[in-house]
Amino acid sequence: MTTHATADAAVPTDVPAVRVRGLVKRYGAVTACDGIDIDLRPGEIHGVLGENGAGKSTLMKVLIGLVLPDQGRVEVRGRPVVIDDPQEAAELGIGMVHQHFSLVNELRVWENVVLGERRRLDAGAARRRVRTIAEHHGLDVDPDARVEDLTAGQRQRVEIVKCLRRDPEIVIFDEPTSVLTPQESEHLFRVLRVAVERDGRAVALVSHKLDEILRATDTVTILRRGRVVGSSLTDDTDARTLAQAMVGRPVSLRSEAGALGVVADPIDTERPPDAVPGGAPDAVSAGPAPALRVTGARSVRGDGKVVLDGIDLDVHAGEIVGVAGVEGNGQTELVEVLSSLRRLDAGTVEVDGRPVDTGRAGAMGAARVGVIPEDRHDAGCVLDLSVAQNLHLGRLAAGRPLGRLDHDRMRAAAERLIDEYDISCAGPDAPFRSLSGGNQQRAVLARELTADPLVLVASQPTHGLDVGAIEFMSERLRAAAASGVAVLLVSSELEEILHLSDRIVVMFAGRIVGEMRRDDADFERIGLLMAGAAA
Amino acid sequence: MTTTGTEPGSDPDAVDDRRSDDRPPDDDAVLAAAQVSAATSLGGAPAGVKVRRSVDDRLVEVGLYVGSILLALLLSAGLVMAVGGSPTAVFSALLDGSVRSPGAWGLTITTMAPLLLVAGGTIVATRAGLVNIGQEGQVLVGAAFAAYLAVRLPGPGPVVLVAALVFAAVGGAVWAGIAAGMRAWRSVPEVLTTLLLTFVAFGLITYGLRQRWLIGDRDTSRQGRVNTGEQIPFDTRLPDLRIFGNAIDSGAIIALGVAALLAWMMARTFLGARIDVVGLNRRAAQRFGISEKPLSAMLLIGSGALAGVGGSVLLLGAASGDRMTIGFSGNFGWEGLLVALLARNRVLLAIPMAFVFAALRTGSSFLAATGVDRKMTDVVQALLVLALLLPPALMFIRDRRRAMAATGGGG
Repeated sequence: MTTHATADAAVPTDVPAVRVRGLVKRYGAVTACDGIDIDLRPGEIHGVLGENGAGKSTLMKVLIGLVLPDQGRVEVRGRPVVIDDPQEAAELGIGMVHQHFSLVNELRVWENVVLGERRRLDAGAARRRVRTIAEHHGLDVDPDARVEDLTAGQRQRVEIVKCLRRDPEIVIFDEPTSVLTPQESEHLFRVLRVAVERDGRAVALVSHKLDEILRATDTVTILRRGRVVGSSLTDDTDARTLAQAMVGRPVSLRSEAGALGVVADPIDTERPPDAVPGGAPDAVSAGPAPALRVTGARSVRGDGKVVLDGIDLDVHAGEIVGVAGVEGNGQTELVEVLSSLRRLDAGTVEVDGRPVDTGRAGAMGAARVGVIPEDRHDAGCVLDLSVAQNLHLGRLAAGRPLGRLDHDRMRAAAERLIDEYDISCAGPDAPFRSLSGGNQQRAVLARELTADPLVLVASQPTHGLDVGAIEFMSERLRAAAASGVAVLLVSSELEEILHLSDRIVVMFAGRIVGEMRRDDADFERIGLLMAGAAA
Repeated sequence: MTTTGTEPGSDPDAVDDRRSDDRPPDDDAVLAAAQVSAATSLGGAPAGVKVRRSVDDRLVEVGLYVGSILLALLLSAGLVMAVGGSPTAVFSALLDGSVRSPGAWGLTITTMAPLLLVAGGTIVATRAGLVNIGQEGQVLVGAAFAAYLAVRLPGPGPVVLVAALVFAAVGGAVWAGIAAGMRAWRSVPEVLTTLLLTFVAFGLITYGLRQRWLIGDRDTSRQGRVNTGEQIPFDTRLPDLRIFGNAIDSGAIIALGVAALLAWMMARTFLGARIDVVGLNRRAAQRFGISEKPLSAMLLIGSGALAGVGGSVLLLGAASGDRMTIGFSGNFGWEGLLVALLARNRVLLAIPMAFVFAALRTGSSFLAATGVDRKMTDVVQALLVLALLLPPALMFIRDRRRAMAATGGGG
């Protein structure tokens, strides 16, 4: 088998590689896909744009055989098909590069690539094949490297090779840039170009970021609430039109840039009017002790890997410091330290000038460090308790053990917060589990802000939210900073960092490899720092 | 009955009722998708969705329970017929033995007491995510401690009785404390240690019963009977309450009082809330300042202490014989664990569950007249346990299927 795909390119180009008509998929009372039509053509990169929850992933999972549709027709090369498992999809020539990797860390690259094949194993041939595919597409992959030693960007290349080894005619990329630096994203788009132009594949690029859709695709289909709300050639459209179609209302490309995945023009240093108190940048140089000071923070994981390698970081009252970096470079562990979930092996954390015993239950909370965690289900809430109890977790831990728990007062306080933060739920007694992701996030935010924090750590705070909810979150973070809270924003979405921060630090391999003020922030430079290139 | 204010369904357990109120969709994906339908307006749609589903779920669940219990009863009837008995006669005999004949329900409530004590402690520990399965050993050790004091401590009967009960709690606590200590300092899983310590307890008690300086019988005229303890003096036994011609052991009052106290603790105190937080999300507990290790150690020890008291109630009350013997604990520990399991970790639900288990025990003594071996009740009991465990298991599998189907559709 060679990598030159379209042997049967005899198929006239007006027959789409994939044609979907009237696709419906319901989950209980919720309709994820509500009559979707889409055509993927050979030699074309087709952008599928939509907010979180618009139905993009469900649509793609139907094509890859992970989900069976309730209604609708799927044709591959003009032939109606039923794709009931991923094997079937592979035989039809449909491959997918998933957002989350499915690689075995302990194995080598070539081993991962041939994993799951039923034929006899020929290590030499497998290595050669990995090399051929990689070279053909301009992917830099060493077949003998161990996956655990690779960066996120390199792992994605392995995933791509894994997908392309079956020589699929149709390739789906699901949010591929979420783990990449800007330069890596650019490189990925060039790889996609090769795949469509040289090999005549049909590529679908699923994304919620306007910029990359505009930059990398030929045609675009916009989904909203499970329906197709727009479809055109990419050249015939612009960011404003796409944004409005995606969100369903006119949006400001500037004030909502972070949410829409539009890179704010780095030269345009003008800030949104409500952004920051003027004092913040001065505080960096002069001011009193920082609200949060991390000095020489070092932490080693159980398996010996150094996850935090001497972090020094100050956050002053009233400023928002953004921590940029590709996921998995120590940000999660840093937030764990600030959540009392990880004890430092060396170094100190001081809040308002006083040292905090890292790793002691509740110590950070007692020092008035609030946290909006990356995965709110991890340590941010208790799904099986009520909304009222979740809004009072800190207080549950503080009272005398046999003291009487005043449910009525908790309920009343919860009702006020539900009102103030516009949390949509059946009431304070509703199980937290019954809330949607966005509303859970609002509740977490409400709890952390009412605890009157000195420091607020927000880790990927808008992950998985729709544009409206993202805006709400951004406003609240800005307001918190304006009221004198020191905000540490950890995000792998560079757009979000650039949109909100006063100061930006970049993390790579457990270290802070660069620091700059927002006004001096340079997209290119941050990208290189994220990749660990220069210091 | 003069005991306590623990009518099932009274509000001390209100929180639990709410907790168990059907689990809404397990999957964020559905919710994320539900959010889509609410989109910018963030209206009441997701909540509406939830309510509709949970009413359906409730009906399905009730149906499953009714169905599986009927199935268990049918199977039991089939078995009885297969061994040549009459199902109706057996059923009638069970009823006579447990509640219908004079004095029967008093004995059943008496038998319920140790089961309820064991189950109560187990439930609280389980709510914190602990798996204590060594109750049988804790019961045994508690009873041995009580046996020692009851025959050795001079003084007025009631004082000795109270001291024996307290000493039993200490015994159970020490036994569970070994597991608690190993867990706290060396992270040894309590599921292993508690279970294995049970077998150690059997060995130790057997040894103790052979030693006259420990709990063996000091009466030399009974030399021939090894492995028995000394008879408990009458004035240190738990007094009976006489209600409508039924003799109810005062141990039942202790058990019901403890159950009421635990239910109140879980629903109304900070400690109860913390136990739930630790059990449901350990990392959230850590972040918000609840130290898991000391709390868990305390709960393991507490559940051991209650099992120990259960053992002493068994020994000093009317549910068992008047002295320790080797098979003395008679599976009360294991059965208490089953009661906790079937009560699905709700203290007040454990009361009726313990009653049913006790009724099967007392009822089985009337089976002889029907010509069916009394071991048959063990089979019936096992079938009932399976019947009560089946519906939650099926619901769990269904929920997970749904969740998996829906994670396919984050959208």
